[in-house]
Amino acid sequence: MTEATKTGLSRRSLLKGAAAGVAASAFPAPMIWAQNIKDVTLRQFGTGVSNINEVAQKVKEDLGFTLEMTALDSDAVTQRAATQPKSFDIADIEYWICKKVWPTGNLQGMDVSKIRNYDKIVGIFKDGKLTPDSTIAQGTSPNSVGFTDGPDGTRFADQETGWMTLIPTIYNADTLGIRPDLIGRPIDSWAELLNPEFKGKASLLDISAIGIMDAAMVCEAMGEITYGNKGNMTRDEIDRTLAIMTEAKKAGQFRAFWKTFDESVNLMASGEVVIQSMWSPAITAVKSRGIPCVYQPLKEGYRAWGGGIGLSKNLSGLELDAAYEYINWYLDGWVGGFLMRQGYYSAVPETSKNYMTENEWGYWFEGKPATEVITNPYGDAMAQPGETRDGGSFEERMGHIACWNAVMDENQYMVRKWNEFIAA
Amino acid sequence: MDRRPRSFYVLATVFTLFLLFLYGPTFTIAILSFQGPEGGLTFPMRGVSLHWFRDLFEQQAVGDIWGSFGRSFVLGLMVMVTTVVVSVMGGLAFRKRFAGSGVLFYLVVTSLVIPSILVSLGVGLIFSQSGLDVHWATSGFGSQLTWTLPFGLLIMFAVFNRFDKSYEEAARDQGASAWQTIRHVVLPIIAPSLIGVALFGFTLSYDEFARTLLTAGSYNTLPLEIYGMTTNVTTPVIFALGTLTTAFSLVVIGVFLASVWAMNRRRARQGSDAGQGMV
Amino acid sequence: MTALSKNRRLSGSRPASLLAQLVTGRTKNRHLMGWLLASPLALVLLVFLVLPIVMIVIVSFWGATEFSIYPAFQWDNYQFLLTSPVTYKVFLNTFKYAVLTWAFTLTIGFTVAYFLAFHVRSLTWQIALFLLCTIPFWTSNIIRMISWIPFLGRNGIANSTLMSMGVIDEPLDWLLYSDFSVILAFVHLYTLFMVVPIFNTMMRIDRSLIEAAYDSGATGWQTLTNVIIPLCKPGIMIGSIFVVTLVMGDFITVRFMSGSQSANVGRLISNDIGLLQYPSAAATAVILLITVLMVIGILLRFVDIRKEL
Repeated sequence: MTEATKTGLSRRSLLKGAAAGVAASAFPAPMIWAQNIKDVTLRQFGTGVSNINEVAQKVKEDLGFTLEMTALDSDAVTQRAATQPKSFDIADIEYWICKKVWPTGNLQGMDVSKIRNYDKIVGIFKDGKLTPDSTIAQGTSPNSVGFTDGPDGTRFADQETGWMTLIPTIYNADTLGIRPDLIGRPIDSWAELLNPEFKGKASLLDISAIGIMDAAMVCEAMGEITYGNKGNMTRDEIDRTLAIMTEAKKAGQFRAFWKTFDESVNLMASGEVVIQSMWSPAITAVKSRGIPCVYQPLKEGYRAWGGGIGLSKNLSGLELDAAYEYINWYLDGWVGGFLMRQGYYSAVPETSKNYMTENEWGYWFEGKPATEVITNPYGDAMAQPGETRDGGSFEERMGHIACWNAVMDENQYMVRKWNEFIAA
Repeated sequence: MDRRPRSFYVLATVFTLFLLFLYGPTFTIAILSFQGPEGGLTFPMRGVSLHWFRDLFEQQAVGDIWGSFGRSFVLGLMVMVTTVVVSVMGGLAFRKRFAGSGVLFYLVVTSLVIPSILVSLGVGLIFSQSGLDVHWATSGFGSQLTWTLPFGLLIMFAVFNRFDKSYEEAARDQGASAWQTIRHVVLPIIAPSLIGVALFGFTLSYDEFARTLLTAGSYNTLPLEIYGMTTNVTTPVIFALGTLTTAFSLVVIGVFLASVWAMNRRRARQGSDAGQGMV
Repeated sequence: MTALSKNRRLSGSRPASLLAQLVTGRTKNRHLMGWLLASPLALVLLVFLVLPIVMIVIVSFWGATEFSIYPAFQWDNYQFLLTSPVTYKVFLNTFKYAVLTWAFTLTIGFTVAYFLAFHVRSLTWQIALFLLCTIPFWTSNIIRMISWIPFLGRNGIANSTLMSMGVIDEPLDWLLYSDFSVILAFVHLYTLFMVVPIFNTMMRIDRSLIEAAYDSGATGWQTLTNVIIPLCKPGIMIGSIFVVTLVMGDFITVRFMSGSQSANVGRLISNDIGLLQYPSAAATAVILLITVLMVIGILLRFVDIRKEL
């Protein structure tokens, strides 16, 4: 996908437009450590979703220090965050992973007074509400694990405290991906995943914490189970959900389960699967190969996830300063624009707007029809003039969250049951 | 040359089919590495181009192919050299029974048969519980040795079982010291087999996934990096890498064969036939 | 110099002369010498094999929370493991994969080794053909695994070839993400581990034995079953040890090739590791290790690896 010349071009033209903005905002005051910060190397790890080399390159250009990126799958991410605190400086993790990892004390709380754009971070990550009158969705919502008592806090605080566990960076509303050309009729419910019509052509993701939520959305849509709280199921609810899924599995409903992003792309692009749980940029990747693929909005709503940046306990002094500078830079808009042009949302949308064309902002954020061809940061065409984004605007999509990816109280039980389901 | 029996042709066909089977994925990789710029990891092909070979030398969206390749290569060489040296020493040691040699031998067998993920898990646990940092060149290196050493040692057993001791005795009779005997008689004779041990050591290390999974630390080896890259969109770039690897292996093996051929010629002139038979 | 006489082994160089050597001269310091030479090997195995195993056994009694493990002495992990019906199913599945893979690799491996040993006449050619077999293994296994999808998938090479040949009308779904594809990948990965030791023992067979069999009127088949196969037993055993242990310890092949749809013990362990349930992973690992060692113990009764290589 990365075509060298195109990437270079788009980056250069972007740079020109952004140079003034960066100069003004990223270096508000000359820093005493501006010279030796160049020797700082920060090691960041996370999933490939946001551990993109171009971000590291841009950091080197704008901030002068070196950021080393390691991309891992989500199991390995959890593992490294929890068990190898010395192997990283910056953890790029999801909020549900944070719920698991935070109590280990491997991460340190972050002082929001050092975060310049804190006030502009969307409400979802602060009080949990998109707009003052929206309700908080089920599951591990980012606000519930986003704050702690102080720099050394190991508990989560119920409201804003001035100390954040993760600085939110990226989030999205997930739904089912479909191949409209192979299905040939409208799809409007999560229940369709288990429709016998798609026998042997459906897929589910095999990351228990996320897969169980998709399964719950399906079972609820089928009218089989009514959940008290999908984000915190009882043992009985877990058993019943997985019983339905196991039955479907034994009947041959699923072609495969996928665990890494790339597998979902290949399953869809090769036509092995026509309906499956999927992530937004995976759709983008399939589409960029000229294969029709839709991120189908469903009447029951979306399953949302969010990720953020956490700092290792071991960071201090100059490196800690550099890390804060990195976070400020991250929220400053360039990365936001970069991520939003792939279909994700930025935690501070209004700064990202500066790094997107009006057409791009209209298409990705406001749900307006594209006025000219929409390309992703790598130069691949994503949408033709006149097309609108699946699901519409930011408010329409993030306003219809049914639940967040979650870690439940009964997580260990759920995981064992999930493993049994996979082995069944 | 006498005439080939009919069974030769039947078996040659079976062998060819086996080769085709082994090369199945290699062919798929080779074809797909010529995907057009918009193509993916699966069929259908979307045009034909050299795009991905060029792209291989550019920066990828995610992951660091050449950095991890460098680490895998260095690690492979480290494992290779260590395996050769330690296996030869071990092979020499096991020629005579010594106290505890039986126990050590059973450890070697255990090391050979223990599921690789157990080594990964165990080494990872030891390092994390004792507060040490895992790193590919320490914990990763050691974990891989538990797999390549038994291999190398088994090959050395095979070599020494075939070793004609009369050469050594002759050397000793003429007043050579133990070291001189090994240096000037034993090592030259087993040298071709050592190339085999080295080749095994490198290949097993270069492709090792499970043993390095929990022991590599901050920096990935190539197999781990490729696995990590699959968490984002992977492109036919990894297939281009595969195709180049295959082409490169063909060259290396060509060189290796040439050297074996040269050694054989030299040996033929010297009239010895010891130390052959194992690759 | 013909290949035949080149490959003939000089006999009588082993036990007798070894004994003779031991009796003479440096008997006293042979223990010292042995340990001196073996110490690097012993050291590596101690640090990276014995200690990890001890650690796994210890941790298998520990407890775990969502994110950490704590020292304890409890049987919970084993109790959960041994009372869950899934465990037995998964172990059974693991054995199934091992046995099927063993049968296929043995058949194919023996045939290939036989061809290389008895029909290819020069050592250089034998090495060349063998190396030709190893080249695919230099491409990372992860890459090769991904490439099975376009090969075996609905629109893959295999299906489109079969369809264009008119053998089938509909694409075959069971080619990918099935037990078939798992076994296929195993056979692909591990047949060479069978070929090498069998080839090795075949090369040690004294060719005059085979000539003698023919001279006394045995058919090709009789020679094969009565002379060659019995003499190849050590190689077959060693190859079987390789294949069985590799398959039993695998987790990544099963995950990729079954599309995560079926499980073996390795996957149970790797799932637990992924979810930070190290004690539970360790308990499963202990049981797996015991099982593997028992299987190997049985196989080793049939062969003395040190002598027969």
